Amino acid sequence: MNLFYFVAFLSIFFSLLVIFSKNPVYSVLFLIVTFFTFSVHYILLNAQFLAIVNFIVYMGAIMVLFLFVLMLLNLNKDTEPMKSSLLKIAGVVSGLCLLLTLVGAVKSLNVSEPLILKDPGIGLVKNLGKVLFNEFLLPFEVSSILLFSAMVGSVLLAKKDPKKI
Amino acid sequence: MSVLITISLLAILVLYLGLFKAKKALLPVSILGLLGALSLSFYEWGSYAQPIYNGMMLFDNFAAAFSGITILSTLLIFLLSKDYFERISSNIAEYYTVILFSLAGIIVMVSYHNLTMLFIGIEIMSVSLYILAGIKKRDFASNEAALKYFLMGAFSTGFLLFGIALLYGASGSFDLLEIRNYILSAPQEVSPLFYGGILLLIVGLCFKVGAAPFHFWAPDVYEGSPSLITAYMSTVVKTAGFAAFLRLFLFCFSPLSEFWSPVLVTLAALSLLIGNITAVYQQHFKRMLAYSSISHVGYMLFAVISLNGSSDTSIFVYAAAYSIASIMAFAALILLQRQVGTDSFDSFNGLARKNPFLALTLTVAMLSLAGIPLTAGFIGKFMMFTSALSTYHTYLVLFAVLNAAIGIFYYFRVIVAMYFKEADRHELIVSPYYRLVLGLSAAATILLGVYPELISRLI
Amino acid sequence: METQTSAINYLPIVFQMLVALGFVVLTMVLTHIIGPKRKSKEKLSPFESGIEVVGNARQPFSIKYFLVAILFVLFDIEVIFMYPWAVNFREMSLEGFDGLIEMLVFMGTLLLGFIYIIKKKALDWE
Repeated sequence: MNLFYFVAFLSIFFSLLVIFSKNPVYSVLFLIVTFFTFSVHYILLNAQFLAIVNFIVYMGAIMVLFLFVLMLLNLNKDTEPMKSSLLKIAGVVSGLCLLLTLVGAVKSLNVSEPLILKDPGIGLVKNLGKVLFNEFLLPFEVSSILLFSAMVGSVLLAKKDPKKI
Repeated sequence: MSVLITISLLAILVLYLGLFKAKKALLPVSILGLLGALSLSFYEWGSYAQPIYNGMMLFDNFAAAFSGITILSTLLIFLLSKDYFERISSNIAEYYTVILFSLAGIIVMVSYHNLTMLFIGIEIMSVSLYILAGIKKRDFASNEAALKYFLMGAFSTGFLLFGIALLYGASGSFDLLEIRNYILSAPQEVSPLFYGGILLLIVGLCFKVGAAPFHFWAPDVYEGSPSLITAYMSTVVKTAGFAAFLRLFLFCFSPLSEFWSPVLVTLAALSLLIGNITAVYQQHFKRMLAYSSISHVGYMLFAVISLNGSSDTSIFVYAAAYSIASIMAFAALILLQRQVGTDSFDSFNGLARKNPFLALTLTVAMLSLAGIPLTAGFIGKFMMFTSALSTYHTYLVLFAVLNAAIGIFYYFRVIVAMYFKEADRHELIVSPYYRLVLGLSAAATILLGVYPELISRLI
Repeated sequence: METQTSAINYLPIVFQMLVALGFVVLTMVLTHIIGPKRKSKEKLSPFESGIEVVGNARQPFSIKYFLVAILFVLFDIEVIFMYPWAVNFREMSLEGFDGLIEMLVFMGTLLLGFIYIIKKKALDWE
């Protein structure tokens, strides 16, 4: 349990650093560290497959995309306009409302018995595969349409038109 | 299920037709495919369906009816798309494909029986829409619309997912039936996490349908996107969003209505107020339609607030009337933008003299949107108000009637400009496809206004 | 929670990572300590193939890189789904061809997408 609290502290610490660092590249790097702590969480929860996916896809691929987006932008100029203080206050208020709701919900929970999983290996790749290819077969197949439309869209938007408009 | 498969395969077929340079075949093939899907959804009617694929989907009458109306609206929009996409770029097949993909997502959204399917359906639809909003690559407004829509949409998806996660944590299942059983088994001892989940789901879904105060993306996105895509977003997508909303609340959360109905009443009242008041001050037709669509969201929320046996019918009728009328309005908007170059209210001046048919159909559309008797919009509003009154939301209905009066004001501005203001103008060229869509929609609007039983018994 | 976790099995991986990280840190620190230091203007300027430094490194670059990267991510996700499938393949194949067909539908859809990308010359570098 202590390990959990330590890793949770690290996740919160690094995610705060993501928000507060001035340089966007540092933000992305801290985000990678945050994702790494998430991977540790998944392993602690026995979710082996999620940990691997998080490691390969999120930390590997998606973070590279984040960096790419940063490089597509022009970071030389200080172009980011300052938000008005009214917007900031509205953001803080709505964020606190969300926090209050969640804290209220969690606070009124009863402390339950420590959960004993029937099958401790439920998050292993093999068991996850069994669930994915039986109960959750349809979402799996339908997600191919999601990937397909993303493919078409990225080609459509990022590919230069052959002739000048 | 066959509807979903048909539309997905159709999308891929159209994409490959475009690859092999069969430009002429794109529109006919898409329309034929959609007609096929439409007939399939009629075919599934009345078959008291069981959840299929381990309870992932349920093609009941509700799903069939909403699939039908969304496919029909898409069909009308496709008819309007003749010569539209060619002006943007040569990738016409891709545009049709992405619209069809989002329609596939919508079919999932109206027929889900499991929260994972709801999420995937919303994602397929949204990802396609982010792309569609930005297809005018050189147009700054279109870029802004796509980026705004993407950021806001991704943000709201986060809320939705969080809500689903909390529901799962409390009830231990994604399946709608099991969540319902969880509530019914001990209505007094529902976990507090479950309530938090409902709130977050409301936030996420209200973002998607554009209810105030989660509407901030809507006007900019609707204005910046190409008009045809805006027509799609404000009709088909909204209908699908409400179908998903209603399915979840009608089926799962109805025993807890004391908890969430005050929230939705507030949201509905806010949407009505903000939508109508800001629509009055708009000088451009497209932006006016965007704001008025927010107010229509307010009316449609009534059905969710007053959950009873007829709320699915009333939302169906309202969505059908609203979609058809909006498509007419957008058809006129596209013609104006293309041939006059502006869509301010002044550009409607004297339209009735030069284009009597266009003016007449646009008048029907405006009357229907404003909810004047003998049009379908009136029936929709009437059903909404009666269902709200049946659950004693008297003040809400009074407020809504006041707002409907404001609505009449800005819808009539268009009619007044067309008929009573004179201006020198050229006749707009209305192509046969547009004539077909306008004529059919106007006829349908009036037919539904006179004989609402035609579709009000469907579900 | 703690009693059931199998996280202890990952201890070798943790050691592996510690060793890898330790090696990097150690060599970097050591070279700094051991190596000679000559600080002159030429030594401190970034090395660009011996040419004078032009502009700075923060230049926006072409979207072509991004297109390749995002297509990579999409196919990466596709491949991720194959791990649980492959692990279960033997058991599924005992029950018939269902498992194979399930994956073929998924892969077939994405293969159509891949053919589209190739045909559209989205990966060509002009």
